Amino acid sequence: MKVIIAGAGSVGRYMAEQLQNSGHEVTLIDNQVNVVNNRPKDSTGGVTWHLGDACEVATLEAVGAAGADIVAAVTGDDEDNLVISLLSKQEFAVPRVLARVNNPKNEWMFNDMWGVDVSVSTPHLLTGLVEEAVTVGSFVRLLSLEGGKARLAEVTLAANSPAIGKELAALGLPRESTVVAVLRGGHVVVPRGDTILQAADEVVVLVTGGVEDDVRAALVG
Amino acid sequence: MVSVRRKNRVQVSEPHPEPVSVSIADMQARQFVCVCGKVTRMTARPTSGQPALAVMVSDDTGTVTAVWTGRRSIGGVTLGRRIAIKGVAVAHGAKLEFTNPSYTLLPR
Repeated sequence: MKVIIAGAGSVGRYMAEQLQNSGHEVTLIDNQVNVVNNRPKDSTGGVTWHLGDACEVATLEAVGAAGADIVAAVTGDDEDNLVISLLSKQEFAVPRVLARVNNPKNEWMFNDMWGVDVSVSTPHLLTGLVEEAVTVGSFVRLLSLEGGKARLAEVTLAANSPAIGKELAALGLPRESTVVAVLRGGHVVVPRGDTILQAADEVVVLVTGGVEDDVRAALVG
Repeated sequence: MVSVRRKNRVQVSEPHPEPVSVSIADMQARQFVCVCGKVTRMTARPTSGQPALAVMVSDDTGTVTAVWTGRRSIGGVTLGRRIAIKGVAVAHGAKLEFTNPSYTLLPR
């Protein structure tokens, strides 16, 4: 997935590194020459850096916002983050726009009026949400229960998933796991044995014990 | 307080130099396009407590919605009026929607 991150502060660099390591194509924008020139050579090696003002449409155009899957506005200025979000959504129709809220007093503005799909205030959470949003066809752990004995995980079914077109009962999921919900086009489908899975379904699975690999094999392939 | 920023601002070229003129049925998401049609429906669509105006525009091939945020009406945009819309549309399921596109009122 192509991810554009505006703001190469500690938050932006952290996200870039994490997402780069997960195999995403990451571009970092910052408007300070010394930040871009003094970028660490080791940790964010594969990340594309761009010197420019992300609040300018031309900058976003130059880094390929028209083809981006995600834009994350994580500068230290809430007003900049809002402008970047609005431009990304309005001028480039970016499917998923994330914005960092620096001052909680401003949080009420971070909504779809300003093109923001998801607003977050901590770097760690931000990375997790990007991962979840961009990851189709892999296994995302949402929550650990009972000290990790049980896990809630989510898989967005890719078009080539072996589970597509099959009834849940025919998937051969291990007994230690169960599908607890299927999210389809904004609706929650309560899963039954005869529920048939479709591409782009978000399947939420409760997994216990060591059967995660079996569940992954059944849903991801 | 809004501080004065961007003092090194450079002259930038106009983004999206030329839109592609297409019929509504041929529009694609995330493409900079220009479509012409008649206003066939106007709806107030408040979003997150803020006013917004949703205008459905139709030509012979289909319909598309343009949403202008922060307002309840636009002078000159009335039912039956022909307008041209320039912008980038977002896909909402199977439907396409412009957000704050630029528009031109066309002669009746």
